[in-house]
Amino acid sequence: MKKAHTLIGERVPRVDSLAKVTGEVRFSGDLIFPRMLVGMVKRSPLAHARILHVDTSRAEKLKGVKAVVAGKDTAGVKWGVFGYTQDMELLPRDKIRYFGEEIAAVAAVDEDTAMEALNLITLDLEELPAVYDPFESMASEGPPIHEGYPNNINIHVHIDVGDIEKGFRDSHLVREDTFTADEDSYFQGEPYAAVARFDDAGNLEMWMPNAGPHMKAKPLANLLQMPLHKVRLRKIAIGGAFGGRSEISPADYICALLARKSGRPVKIVYTREENSVNIRMGHALVTTIKTGVDSKGRVLARDITCYMDGGAYSSTGPIATSVPFLCMEQAYRMDNVRYNGYRIFTNKPVRGMIRMHGRSFACGVDLQLDMLGKELGIDPVTMRLVNARRAGDFTPTGSHVASCALTECIEKAAEKAGWKEKYGNLPAWRGIGIGVNSVQTGFPLGIRGGSQAFIKFNEDGGVTLISGVVDNGQGNDNMLVQVVAEELGLEVSDVTLITADTEVTPNDPGSYSMVSTFAGGNAARLAAVDARNKLFEIAAKAMEANPDDLVLENKKIFVAGSSDKFLSLQKVVRMGLIQGHPVSGEGHYAPKVDQRREWVKNPKGQLSEAFSFGATIAEVEVDPETGMVKTLEVTAAQDVGRAINPMVLEGQFEGSIAMGGQGGMLTEYHFWDKGRCLNPTQLEYKVPLAADMPKINNIIVESLDPAGPYGAKEAAMSIAMSAAQAYASAIADAIGTTIKDFPMTPDKILAAIESKKEKG
Amino acid sequence: MKKIPLVLSVNGEEYDIYIPPNRTLLEVLREELELTGTKEGCGEGVCGSCTVLCDGFPIRSCLTLAAEVQGTEITTVEGLKNEDGQLDLVQQSFIDRGAVQCGFCTPGMLMSAKAFLNRNPSPSEDDVRKGLSGNICRCTGYTKIVEAIMEVAKKK
Repeated sequence: MKKAHTLIGERVPRVDSLAKVTGEVRFSGDLIFPRMLVGMVKRSPLAHARILHVDTSRAEKLKGVKAVVAGKDTAGVKWGVFGYTQDMELLPRDKIRYFGEEIAAVAAVDEDTAMEALNLITLDLEELPAVYDPFESMASEGPPIHEGYPNNINIHVHIDVGDIEKGFRDSHLVREDTFTADEDSYFQGEPYAAVARFDDAGNLEMWMPNAGPHMKAKPLANLLQMPLHKVRLRKIAIGGAFGGRSEISPADYICALLARKSGRPVKIVYTREENSVNIRMGHALVTTIKTGVDSKGRVLARDITCYMDGGAYSSTGPIATSVPFLCMEQAYRMDNVRYNGYRIFTNKPVRGMIRMHGRSFACGVDLQLDMLGKELGIDPVTMRLVNARRAGDFTPTGSHVASCALTECIEKAAEKAGWKEKYGNLPAWRGIGIGVNSVQTGFPLGIRGGSQAFIKFNEDGGVTLISGVVDNGQGNDNMLVQVVAEELGLEVSDVTLITADTEVTPNDPGSYSMVSTFAGGNAARLAAVDARNKLFEIAAKAMEANPDDLVLENKKIFVAGSSDKFLSLQKVVRMGLIQGHPVSGEGHYAPKVDQRREWVKNPKGQLSEAFSFGATIAEVEVDPETGMVKTLEVTAAQDVGRAINPMVLEGQFEGSIAMGGQGGMLTEYHFWDKGRCLNPTQLEYKVPLAADMPKINNIIVESLDPAGPYGAKEAAMSIAMSAAQAYASAIADAIGTTIKDFPMTPDKILAAIESKKEKG
Repeated sequence: MKKIPLVLSVNGEEYDIYIPPNRTLLEVLREELELTGTKEGCGEGVCGSCTVLCDGFPIRSCLTLAAEVQGTEITTVEGLKNEDGQLDLVQQSFIDRGAVQCGFCTPGMLMSAKAFLNRNPSPSEDDVRKGLSGNICRCTGYTKIVEAIMEVAKKK
């Protein structure tokens, strides 16, 4: 019998917050072990060079130094997300490809000794011509960054659906614009840290910020040439990810090498600069978009070419090159569309996926809709509505969209923001704009499976959930607890968690690309259902009832409709133990996708089982004297499927607006001297502060996805992205001209105002 | 480097230690006293994760030499609970209002909030936002942190 949800949709305080407000919680850098050494990394002073010799002999002789490693100490295994992108040695032997790349490392008794030892390592490098820009890189006649990639083109994704030539011929109006954006960065609260120790049997234990312990243990085992079961990544608090904690980091590998060589625990804590330059950062993009519409604003054809500065290695290249397009093909209907995405190698730090990956792409698509609408006399909200994705549609590349409440998101956001009253009627230098986006909910990427969970009933009637899901800070632990407590009629405090420990927990795809609630939440729910079924079998026998007629509520098992006839949950658990049927549960869930789909070779078929949709409206005021933008109000609406915890969701919305809109569009970018990042520090890279943030209206829209747990999809990724678009659109409305280069810093805004004046 | 003797008073407890004179308060708290609740986010006094109270005033422990604070009373996040072991109102409010996400900035944020409310017990929302401008949070967008602090101010 189905019962009403009691915990799902409740504003339950997060289970992890107590340990976080008392200082009890441990992050990787907080760990202390007996005889632990300090690890530090020697980095390349050049952007492109052949390694002729690394002399570590003087460092090794320094008192207090316990291990030194360099390329010669590695097995030479290369890391890559896919078989065909394995191009990165995490401690290179032959060649350096970006300024700051790892060359050697030391483990010493303290930081001062480690630093002194780094200075004693001498490098014999042969400098090679380097390239720092994707177009310069493609045209370069110098030595290639990697062998086997003509013109330094790392990835080319080509998608061609329908007949775009006919679409453009049939169009009433066609525009072509180019949009650009600089690199952006994660600036997670926690700088990267790794701790490694081996036991005498050769088992490795590691702690580090990770977005998927199971997805990190595998490459670590490969790189270290160890059996996978001997690599044990432990649960640890993680200080934010935002896309930047999914891949294995050289720090992980180097830390393990140093621990193995020294026979002692080793901790490496990255500086803020290393965290910016040597983990990942966002891609810089140049995106040319040509769009044709009919007289009602409906898109008939779209042709997009995008060049991404990929930096020195492939990283998530095939995915990164595809996702900006995929988000847009999900958000908007487009029958005839062509996409050419190129990811180019340069001698710069490696680029990965980031929360608002592809900001010039998404902002370009939306700004162009605004510009086309203006020529047609159609307002931006209507332009979005006539093109918005609907439930039951197929995307151009063939994904069925089972649930979609994008239209409702747009309408509700517009109503709450007062769009009708404000658009076109705001005072001078004020503007309002809208952005629309969609993200994949749980795609397996071609490299990972689903999630599995186990439940163990304890004798007091409480349960322990064992799941591979990791919490990067977004609240996954709480999500799991709420789901299990809901299914088993328990209090939140009755559920204990064992998660994200590769020795103990079953496989999980990792907490990136919005998969945790959908796959991990579903697996936990199914494990609880399995355990409940076993409870019901035991109780049914004792109560001489049919298991199908039983209900579990408030720790009592009832026959439906007769509340006086019940057994306590604790009693049934004990009965199970005595009768030789201890109660446990197993659940697993893998998103149903087309496994033949491949990012480059075969980009068609079901990509993800579900998709989330978001619409954000921003209202801004621009100071024409200084070019400064004050954000007055932001309204964000997302189809989340189902709100498992509205308070946690709102927190995700608000954080998404800060990173995607306020920071992502106004202040956040890296600047360079050739391959050297000039603002890797917190002082120079400007993220939003409390005083910068506007009033935020959150609107949670629930489409109840047929496959998500309780209908849930994901929390706020489509807000992070649509917020960026909304800010771009609002600033264009405020200054009466469209800026196509992001972020929109004061100098660019003043130049745009000036240029508009000159043109009259 | 030759070590110097130092007496530190942290969370009401006295510590007699020997440290190299170049050690920051943050390093001494985390490494010598094993009070790892205080975090290093940037190491240059920008992010506020290392904020502790020195005689009730918020300071950046990453920019403060441990030797400088001899003779003062230092309070870290571990010392925020009341004498009877109950959470401070600010800690409880952060939990109840969903102001904690990854939790890395939380200790510094709590210490700044505590000092701010001592200075200004009935602030406006704008005051709180300005008062928190020395603490960076990358997860929350600050909304729920500001709400949590306003809630405490109202209760007082």
